[in-house]
Amino acid sequence: MAKTASPVLVLAGAEAGDLRALEDYRRAGGYASLEQARKLGSERVIAEIKESGIRGRGGAGFPMGQKASFIPAPEKTAKPIYLVVNADESEPGAFKDREIIERVPHRLIEGMQIAALAIQAEACFIYIRGEYLTGSEIFAAALAEAEAAGLVGIPITVHRGAGAYICGEETALLESLEGKRGQPRSKPPFPALVGLYDSPTLINNVETIATVPKIIELGGAAYAKIGVAGSTGTRLFSLSGNVVRGGNYELPHGTTFRELIEDCGGGISEGRKLKAIIPGGSSTPILGADQIDTPMDYASMEKAGSFIGSASVIVIDDRACMVQLALRLTQFYMNESCGKCTPCREGTRWLEMILRKIEEGRASRAELDLLLDVCDRILGNCLCPLGDSNAMIVASYVRHFRAEFEAHVEKGGCPVAATSSLTGVRSPVDELYRGRVGQEAAL
Amino acid sequence: MSTPELVTVTIDGRQVQVPKGMGLVEAAAAAGIEIPVFCYEPRLGPAVGACRMCLVEIEGMPKLQTGCSTPVADGMVVHTAQSSEQAARGQSATMEFLLLNHPLDCPVCDKGGECALQDLSFRYGQGKTRMTFHKRSLEKPVPISPTIALDRERCILCYRCTRFSQEVAEDEELTAVNRGALSMISTFENEPYRGPFSGNVTELCPVGALTSTQYRFKARPWEYEQAASVCGLCPVGCNVTVQSREGKVQRVLSRNHPEVDRGWLCDKGRFSYPHLYSEERIVTPRRRGARALEELDWEQALEELAGMVERASGGVVLALSGSETLELAYALAKIVRQGAGSDRVVLPEQTSDALDPFRVPIAALAEAEEIVVFEDCPVLDRAPLLELWLKQARRNGAQVTRIGPSGDIQRAHGEAALACRELAEKGNALGKRLRAAERVILLWSGGGSAGGTHLAALALTLGLNEKKGSGALLLPASPNARGVAEAWAAAGDEDRQPKQIGLLIVSGDEAASDPQVRQLAEHARATVALTLFAGDSGEWADLVLPATSYLEREGTMRNLEGRLQRLRGATGSPVRSELSWLVELAVRLGVALPGSEAALFAELSAQALDGISLSALGERAPLLPHGEARTFEIPEAEEPPILLGGPLELIRYRALFSGPEVEHVPELAFQRPATEIEISPEDADRRGIADGSDVVVRSNGTRVTLRARINAALLPGMVRAAATHTSELARGVEVSRP
Amino acid sequence: MVELIDEIRAVADRYPERKSAVIPALRLAQEHYGYLTSEAFREVAAALGTTPAYCRGIASFYDMFELEPAGAHTIEICTNASCALVGAAQVLEAFERELGITAGETTPDGRVTLRSAECLGGCGRGTVVAIDHRYREPVRPEDVPAIVEELRRG
Ligand SMILES: Cc1cc2nc3c(=O)[nH]c(=O)nc-3n(C[C@H](O)[C@H](O)[C@H](O)COP(=O)(O)O)c2cc1C
Ligand code: SF4
Ligand code: FES
Repeated sequence: MAKTASPVLVLAGAEAGDLRALEDYRRAGGYASLEQARKLGSERVIAEIKESGIRGRGGAGFPMGQKASFIPAPEKTAKPIYLVVNADESEPGAFKDREIIERVPHRLIEGMQIAALAIQAEACFIYIRGEYLTGSEIFAAALAEAEAAGLVGIPITVHRGAGAYICGEETALLESLEGKRGQPRSKPPFPALVGLYDSPTLINNVETIATVPKIIELGGAAYAKIGVAGSTGTRLFSLSGNVVRGGNYELPHGTTFRELIEDCGGGISEGRKLKAIIPGGSSTPILGADQIDTPMDYASMEKAGSFIGSASVIVIDDRACMVQLALRLTQFYMNESCGKCTPCREGTRWLEMILRKIEEGRASRAELDLLLDVCDRILGNCLCPLGDSNAMIVASYVRHFRAEFEAHVEKGGCPVAATSSLTGVRSPVDELYRGRVGQEAAL
Repeated sequence: MSTPELVTVTIDGRQVQVPKGMGLVEAAAAAGIEIPVFCYEPRLGPAVGACRMCLVEIEGMPKLQTGCSTPVADGMVVHTAQSSEQAARGQSATMEFLLLNHPLDCPVCDKGGECALQDLSFRYGQGKTRMTFHKRSLEKPVPISPTIALDRERCILCYRCTRFSQEVAEDEELTAVNRGALSMISTFENEPYRGPFSGNVTELCPVGALTSTQYRFKARPWEYEQAASVCGLCPVGCNVTVQSREGKVQRVLSRNHPEVDRGWLCDKGRFSYPHLYSEERIVTPRRRGARALEELDWEQALEELAGMVERASGGVVLALSGSETLELAYALAKIVRQGAGSDRVVLPEQTSDALDPFRVPIAALAEAEEIVVFEDCPVLDRAPLLELWLKQARRNGAQVTRIGPSGDIQRAHGEAALACRELAEKGNALGKRLRAAERVILLWSGGGSAGGTHLAALALTLGLNEKKGSGALLLPASPNARGVAEAWAAAGDEDRQPKQIGLLIVSGDEAASDPQVRQLAEHARATVALTLFAGDSGEWADLVLPATSYLEREGTMRNLEGRLQRLRGATGSPVRSELSWLVELAVRLGVALPGSEAALFAELSAQALDGISLSALGERAPLLPHGEARTFEIPEAEEPPILLGGPLELIRYRALFSGPEVEHVPELAFQRPATEIEISPEDADRRGIADGSDVVVRSNGTRVTLRARINAALLPGMVRAAATHTSELARGVEVSRP
Repeated sequence: MVELIDEIRAVADRYPERKSAVIPALRLAQEHYGYLTSEAFREVAAALGTTPAYCRGIASFYDMFELEPAGAHTIEICTNASCALVGAAQVLEAFERELGITAGETTPDGRVTLRSAECLGGCGRGTVVAIDHRYREPVRPEDVPAIVEELRRG
């Protein structure tokens, strides 16, 4: 599939720049879908969304239409209904929602109005990660313009986070939005029934919502023809790491890594060799270089032993030490663990300590086995997927690159320390924990 | 309510039928299977699923589920760790993670022997650690208040304590800070946890992280003698377990009576017991000598007392504290009425049976739709636990309306009876709501109640006697005011009023500190006081006899619901029990006094309590049936008193953390009422008084300096302060800048 | 001048429940005081009808609140995977050299606080550096002296 032929939906009209100004967005056909949706009414809009087959772009891939239809009708609930847009984007490798917010904010606003209308919501909230200061300002400006133009029938409140990855998890997001510590809730009940302020709440990712106007414009059935069966539509792939041209590329589901990395990204930078691919954000198991021809859709990725996740592709060239990478990402999960459930809070920290020992060449072979056993003991036992993700990816790094881990143990240190692109990398954990809670290895 | 639908679930191969919606932990318990838990505690609200100890396998679900948060569904097939390898692995993982950083200081941990973590590691742990790193080490223990110590190394972050602070006490003083593995429990900076229910966290904590400083290193849980008693410090009568070792009380724990206290205690009830061992406690009789009080032995003391009574025959007056048991009050009443032919008594407060038809268990508050509190005196200070029930009620959706000087509906102090009448009127908006609601509860917290008759009249007008779950309760000022009055009445029916007071018998510290009693003492030819502490009585009594505390007594009390509950004192007291010598005194006076509390109760019960037996009260006393509602003469609402001394009316209340039991416990000093006076913004403005500044409060030539606290909810014209700091002032005061 | 408490109350009015305003309120207080002092916590708590303990529990959960005095400027360098792969370590080191401090510290003159950061969401244009929460992307070691000079002056 040549990339020129692929349809651009979410970023349509912004190919050359942005559509921040209402006037520009209007000129690109903006807000016509909202008008259309008003004519269709709630039920038909949900039907179109269902028919489109769109699955959530936040990572879990739950069909949006189905989730929307779990929301009770207003007459069946004493509580108000809310729409919440998840713009917390904090997954390492992901920067697509920011692109949408900064380049086509009105498409997001239009999508929110249509989705809110579909579920008959009383109010909408958008939770934007605190670090996206510029993004939130751009969005707020667009919102003000849309409000002034009378386009925002269902009020939208912009809520900025304050720096915590876990607040991207939908129930943690709700807690945070309610003014609490952002710790995930035990499910069930699901947010569709008991969400924000205990009211029925639909939560969707920025990209999911920004796709809705196009679904209404094209019609659900036509939309479903884009992409591949079970993975309909386009996707904003965030490409980063050791590629020539990193960036966001909107491509249909089913495009292969090779097409993304080589055709769009211009290949591996400095003419180096591909070593591995993180396929869907840091939380997805790693793939080997030999898997570059895997199509990027839900089913193919699962067959390949990973997930499409947030469609954030991190390209890793042959300089990287995989133990260092596993350690750096584990430090991320350890730092971002909310501290609510035991296996995640204690387990990610333990993983980090063992990995560091391995990386520094102080570990025994038994500790490599222990590392995998700890992964196994975290996996499936956590309250939310954060801890599970850490366990899953560490196990995948060992599975794919066992020889590298063993070499650290046997050689008493990192065999490629002098040349690894990751040597010397530090993390906030180094600043927060070291010395404070006595992490130094003993024995 | 209809009976709930039953569903059938299979747990470890055993089938049980349980109500739909029940949690798996409870359903398993019904099948005789234990699902271990740490964070789960149903009294703290919905399950949070934090600790991951309760993981179970449910057929048809790929992942393990938490038993605590999963409701049963019909046909569910569940395997706990006992029959599922996956669940067992999950649980052992959780145990390993919890123990990773847990210190191995069990031998010096106060929780040892009653620690959930210790018990569960014994059963599910691996017995060895694979952790090869230094354990987390933190400063330990840190005080989070003078009564509670926190050992953060031992904390397993189950969040029970913070959920209590947030969801039950709603004080939000104890919170988690930081994130992830750095998370810890904390108060704000170094401020103490002041919430009056803070001590409950020491019982909620499943490990030795939150412990009582009073109990630190005192004893091991298996060394105790336990007594199932009730707290005697306020009219709620929370059920408690008094644990003692070698005759000394070591701690007071809650003993969940679901209708009364739900297993919570206030800090006064929990932490006051060290008053028993205060150096200032009177342990031997004392007589006024030439210069001071001198000790004498019991033989001499009884000799003296018998002589005093005989000499004053026909002229004895008895002043009873509302904290006495029915039995003690009855025994004293018999001695005075039958042995000394005198019938004059000073009772702690006015009582009546008018509210009996409207009795409801305190727990009914949680289910109520509408609650109206006539709050002349803060509920927290009178009957603290009710404040927790009111919060629970509000969380459950009840409308709670407070009427009083700082209420939602502002009424001057002393106008509660008028407000009651207004609610009864046809056009009153709130009254209409109350008539329309199914479950309505009225509470009266303050004086001027005419024994509850004003409230009873309103309850009758609203037809509360006919609505299930509705009722009206009076919060008396003392723990057993009603019981004491009943006991007095049961001991005789004559009414011989002495012309002169030959002897004043003052029973209890509460009566001894009552200004009215004190005045009588000045007129009495002789006085004898039975008190814990010399305090007030020491100044004027001719004979002071040591009293026992509620923690040492056997007997019964009638709480604010009308529930008769048994005190079962801890064994051992430095002081001789009252009954042991009253019996001797009775013999000398020719009064037939049964020789045990049980026999006294039986006699009293036959006279005045429909013959109910002690065994019918049981360990968790039921609320006994009551008579029909009837109409009665409603007394006139009292005229608001004319203020003397100054233009502002001083509302004086007995603060929760006051009274001799509290005042003799150094760890509770930080809770003693602040030297503050509440004032409305209007009155403060007019006098140029700033929040937090010192002010002079004066009346009739007396003056005290207090700190002003501006309370926006307070009705102008009123100021409010704890009685401790204002006992010398009149009702009318002027407040000004120094 | 608008009082902090009024600003906070105005924000709180935008939410169905006022506790929702805790994060924006803490942000306002931080702007007002420079970092979250005891006084800041007390004011936020009073404005929202909660306790300082509650507010500190919230603030300490999130990365963007300063619980201790921080520099007039903050420099945050993403060192997560994508940026790490393209040289974040060298960028961080360049800042350390230029400022004479280690990540996690503030310059002795109180002008600059330097930190490493988790993924900032600019992965395709690494290394991402946020200066006072405004992104510069990409930043290479050779760009660092000019940036530091700019902050020293500005
Ligand atoms: C640890 C964690 C972080 C997450 N972060 C995000 C995020 O930043 N943005 C997002 O849209 N979804 C995120 N998710 C997924 C959300 O929980 C949720 O599935 C999603 O917002 C639903 O929207 P969608 O169906 O449109 O994808 C995260 C999930 C987890 C477990
Ligand atoms: S202190 Fe105790 S109750 Fe509180 S979180 Fe820690 S273990 Fe749980
Ligand atoms: S008891 Fe179920 S998770 Fe803690």
